[in-house]
Amino acid sequence: MTPEFQTIAALVVVAVAAGWLLRRALAKRHNPGCGGDCGCAADEFKTKLRR
Amino acid sequence: MNDVRPGSSPLPPHLRGAVSRQPTYALVGNPNCGKSTLFNALTGLKQKVGNYPGVTVEKKTGTTFSQHGHPITLIDLPGAYSLAARSPDEAITRDVLLGRRSDTAQPDRILCVVDATNLERNLYLVHQVLDLGRPVIIALNMMDLASEAGLTIRASRLEHELGVPVIPCEAANGKGIIDLRLALSRPEIALPRHAWNIPGEIAPAVSDLQASLTADDAKAPLVARAEALLLLTDRDSVRVAGSKPLSARTAGILAQWEKRWEAEGTDWAGVLVNSRYEAISRLAADVVQAPGVSGRSTSDRIDSFVTHPVWGWAILGSLMAVIFLSIFTLAEYPMNAIDALMAWLSDGVRAAMPAGDLRDLITDGAIAGVGGVVIFLPQILILFFFIGLLESTGYMARAAFIMDRLMSRVGLNGRSFIPLLSSYACAIPGIMATRTIEDHKDRLITILVAPLMSCSARLPVYLLMIAALIPGERVPLGTKVGIMLLMYALGTFGAFGFAWLFKRTLLKGAPALMIMELPPYHLPRIRDVLMHMVERAGMFLRRAGTVILGISIVLWFLAAYPKASDEATGQEQLAQSFAGRAGHLIEPAIRPLGFDWQIGIGLISSFAAREVFVSTMAVVFSAEADDEDTEPLRQAMLGASWPDGRPLFTPLTCFTLMIFYVFAMQCMSTIAVVKRETNGWKWPLFQTAYMTGTAWVLSLIVYQVGTAMGWGA
Repeated sequence: MTPEFQTIAALVVVAVAAGWLLRRALAKRHNPGCGGDCGCAADEFKTKLRR
Repeated sequence: MNDVRPGSSPLPPHLRGAVSRQPTYALVGNPNCGKSTLFNALTGLKQKVGNYPGVTVEKKTGTTFSQHGHPITLIDLPGAYSLAARSPDEAITRDVLLGRRSDTAQPDRILCVVDATNLERNLYLVHQVLDLGRPVIIALNMMDLASEAGLTIRASRLEHELGVPVIPCEAANGKGIIDLRLALSRPEIALPRHAWNIPGEIAPAVSDLQASLTADDAKAPLVARAEALLLLTDRDSVRVAGSKPLSARTAGILAQWEKRWEAEGTDWAGVLVNSRYEAISRLAADVVQAPGVSGRSTSDRIDSFVTHPVWGWAILGSLMAVIFLSIFTLAEYPMNAIDALMAWLSDGVRAAMPAGDLRDLITDGAIAGVGGVVIFLPQILILFFFIGLLESTGYMARAAFIMDRLMSRVGLNGRSFIPLLSSYACAIPGIMATRTIEDHKDRLITILVAPLMSCSARLPVYLLMIAALIPGERVPLGTKVGIMLLMYALGTFGAFGFAWLFKRTLLKGAPALMIMELPPYHLPRIRDVLMHMVERAGMFLRRAGTVILGISIVLWFLAAYPKASDEATGQEQLAQSFAGRAGHLIEPAIRPLGFDWQIGIGLISSFAAREVFVSTMAVVFSAEADDEDTEPLRQAMLGASWPDGRPLFTPLTCFTLMIFYVFAMQCMSTIAVVKRETNGWKWPLFQTAYMTGTAWVLSLIVYQVGTAMGWGA
């Protein structure tokens, strides 16, 4: 694995992570909770909402 | 009196108790009567959750099945003590039952859930529901607890008196659910024969309003009667979007009667409420057989110490000390194991891959960032184990009682306790729990101060700072526990202080009264406590594996790019990176607090979530370290220094950072939830400004005073 390949692969991973975080931050929330990280809505409801 | 009463005839066909199509039941009951447990027991996962239009009140519907397999729809309405609504969620319950909402059809039947251990109090709502004259089934829940308390409930007597089916059950244990399902399946349900005598001075007004509501507001006669009674007692009626306003004629009649009574000096609402209570009291005396008076119960005897004005605080403080002591002692071995695992993973990647950006991203970004947070999992689990244990024994209600003495002095509403208590886990559920607070100003005050309670996301920051507090040696256990207690106390008393200030300045209002029940003590259900712990572990790991991982990867990029020359040291590379430039940008503002640009990077990134500060420090100091070095974060931080060689992380800096995190509003999710709950940007921006401003000022005072006293070395 050359250093150049590693640089390209790392930048792709960074772009994917940044895109995912951005999408998550801007996504319209359907449930009234925090988005699923703090336990403010029961799991079974979240499962239903995801479907 | 010529009004139509429940049980009298003639009745319109739609009110005769028989429903030919798929019936819809509304589940109603007091808060904490086990209504949601019963709803879950009846519907399982066949539930849909949404919101009532115009309000942030959850609308839960579910399906259960009759013994013949026919579907039955259930609507779980928000808990209410009375149909005289005092909060938006109680108003939803009232409006759905009265058919006032245009978005929700009036339910065909009502399933009234009653806490058998508190029958008399629960009967007030039942009494009002029976006034509606619709088919009602009563689920007499928590029969096991009533029995444990020595109460004998004569269900058949209650059924006879009220004329509606009464089904004893234990929703938490699944007992009586089949009987209840059979009752729900009945094609016909007798209408309540219960009626109570409306006092003579009020009866003509009820008749007038009933007639007007039937003629001008298109209400069925019995609904009109119930609505008329409610209009006379519900003086501060909460109106929410979606509910239909009264016709002009009905409103005119109401105003006319109120004016007349005011002139006569008649407390019409008081007369009605007292009359209802008298009827309920007679009924409860007939139905409930209390145990013989044999002195105080065990719970009462325990409470004489636990809720004592002096001993109560001592017990609460001791319990907190034991919890923090356990956090530091019990978690040591699993934490060391996680640390070793992360080091092994990092070393493994370094050995398997040649040097390059991808390898650095995995070791210095992903593993360092996620590992830096995951290492605190054992301590967080221990905290939640103890909280669960205290909750399940009934102690938390006593803690609320003790705290209320303080809360009422600062003008906080008694209902604020649960939202504030929830905020120790996370401010978001705490802020959402404020929906039960009836007074708008009290609710806003609670929302504004809830994020000051030390949430679990602050725990990793406190723990890291406590670990780094004393360079070169282990921090004594007593110091660790003392500092942790101090941080939690600072957040709590800070919240009370600001509530006091807001109550007297921005959001003036009358002091609120606290009415709460102290449930009997019982042995904890270890299974439930462990399940709660496992659930929290899942959430924490999910968060670490998603958001924290994503942020760590992005942070690695920001700390590694743009690249410096090949000869540059780790420190030089970080200094000229994007993250380093951002840190340098805010350094003038944070330097008086004893923080440099590297800590500044952590302060900026932790706006995403507070615990990101820890992963940022891990990424920043991994980026600076030698390639082959996997020394623990604590050592790396203690090795960091100012350009003049002074150590960066002195005990005073660590303490100042903790003070900053106690008060700063470092959480984007909380800001978003406050924006939604207050319906605008005004309050979240105010909250962010006052909290972060306070954090800055207090940190400045602590650092500057500490330095002047010679503690900065």
